[in-house]
Amino acid sequence: MGMTITEKICARAAGRDRVGPGDMIDGKIDKLYIKDLRFSKAEDPKGLYGLFKEILKEMGIHKAWDPDKVIINFDEQPARSTRRAEGQESAKQFSQEHGATIYEGYQGGIGHNVMVEKGHVRPGEFIVGADSHSCTYGALGCFATGIGFTETVGVLATGKIWLKVPPAIYIELAGKRPSWIWGKDIVLRIMAEFGANGAVNKTIEYGGSAVDDISIESRLSMCNMAVESLALNAVFPPDERAIEYVKQVSTATFTPVESDPDAEYESRLRFDLTDMEPFVAAPGVPSNGQPVHEFVGTKINQAFIGTCSNSRIEDLRVAAKILKGKTVHPGVRMIVTPASYGAYFQAREEGLLEIFEKSKALLTASECGICTRPSLATGEVCISSGNRNFPGRMGHRDAQIFLGSPATVAASALAGEIVDPREFLPI
Amino acid sequence: MKKNFKGKVWKFGDCIDSGNIKGVMAGIDPEFHTKVQPGDVIVAGINFGMGSSSEDAPRSLRDAGIAAILAESISNIYLRTLINLGLPAIECPGVSSIVEEGHELEVDLESGRVRNLANGASRTFAPFSDHAIAILEKGGLIPYLKSSLANNREGT
Ligand code: SF4
Repeated sequence: MGMTITEKICARAAGRDRVGPGDMIDGKIDKLYIKDLRFSKAEDPKGLYGLFKEILKEMGIHKAWDPDKVIINFDEQPARSTRRAEGQESAKQFSQEHGATIYEGYQGGIGHNVMVEKGHVRPGEFIVGADSHSCTYGALGCFATGIGFTETVGVLATGKIWLKVPPAIYIELAGKRPSWIWGKDIVLRIMAEFGANGAVNKTIEYGGSAVDDISIESRLSMCNMAVESLALNAVFPPDERAIEYVKQVSTATFTPVESDPDAEYESRLRFDLTDMEPFVAAPGVPSNGQPVHEFVGTKINQAFIGTCSNSRIEDLRVAAKILKGKTVHPGVRMIVTPASYGAYFQAREEGLLEIFEKSKALLTASECGICTRPSLATGEVCISSGNRNFPGRMGHRDAQIFLGSPATVAASALAGEIVDPREFLPI
Repeated sequence: MKKNFKGKVWKFGDCIDSGNIKGVMAGIDPEFHTKVQPGDVIVAGINFGMGSSSEDAPRSLRDAGIAAILAESISNIYLRTLINLGLPAIECPGVSSIVEEGHELEVDLESGRVRNLANGASRTFAPFSDHAIAILEKGGLIPYLKSSLANNREGT
């Protein structure tokens, strides 16, 4: 019996020849991502570094497991609370005393994008991150999942996590993707098919003839949403496009793994992209997706292009294409928050930032920004390129958050209501 | 932690995200922290704890003395975090259909069985692995590591 990509990576991390669904493993970590927030004393009065020091002392050990494998990013810049500022200070101290790479300032942005752009994510690796959207990295053919604060301390000490090998769902992407369909549309459609509970604690593996044509940015966006289906991780095969991308950003060697032809999947689903309509998720949960025509005419107060889900260069390009020479509807606050300073500077070079400014979209520094920072008043409606539309996620519990692709967000910002972006695309 | 225990049930619905669990379910019921007693158990529907990996939500449940969370399904990060904090999180399909709020449940982690003492109905779940039980018995991952790190560590 063959193995899936996830099983192969888990087996290697556990030092075994093979593993199957349900096996408990202790997996050796190749990379640990930590968001600066985890260093603040938000979750534990001692803070991450304080708790870690306590363990070291008790054990008579002096160093973190392997600081070369630890990457920290400042997701909020500048810090907006004393607690966060102190967390960032503590992260720097940790890095000075134990070693770890820190990204901040113009090197940074949103950590998940920084991880990818700076070449820390490579095919075949076993990666964990102290943030739920660490599953994003699976786009490049690695195993990647989010862990909690306590477990992060455990990884710093031991370099391992315990894990139950997940069963896999195979998703075949077939047909020809229309040029106005991006990863976000596809994944919202898939999630709607799953329902809220469809992939809980499983692996999603993408494949099929349409994969070739799906950009790395779109793959990142699709894997980013895996945790919203409650999957453990999602993975794309490390094809030529992925390997090309990784070679551009990293000189390190890596060993891609593919699924065996006789790998065993718990279930298989097939999605033909040929006649697909753009997809939008209604407020509540991200699996509330429907074709955009179901929501056309819904008045909006805010349009947001940002978050680790969708504000990469591909997203900024399509938004700029729609906004060029036009002005955002007077009743709408439009906010553009590039995914990283890499994307931000690239957008500037391409003249996209100027387009945003002229269209009266509010451009912000690259960070998580209003993904979690409250910006919505009671009863306000937002369309967002982000990943979460839970009640209260972006402000008041009675505000409503719709999710859509950057094209849908930009077009809706012009119209003042949810629209089908195809009518606004100058293609 | 006991492997076999009884507790009074508080019942919640589907898809409760960690933002609403924060502050002992404050997003759903701001007064819940005044009602819940140490040793009580929470029974919920699908996708309990979805969303943020932030640990203040699970910590608030642990600190309120909740003995176990039983749900139709639980987000992976949330499930792992609860266990790593020393609080059994149990995915038990069908559990919400056999209990009403206020009933008493008996839970056995080793055999993977939950029984409603009010009406005798029972459900099964995948028994906990030795590793997970070892972590729970020590009161969570940090105390577990403190007691076993020396053996665990490979020559780095
Ligand atoms: S952008 Fe939003 S979802 Fe992504 S890491 Fe930041 S806060 Fe989390």
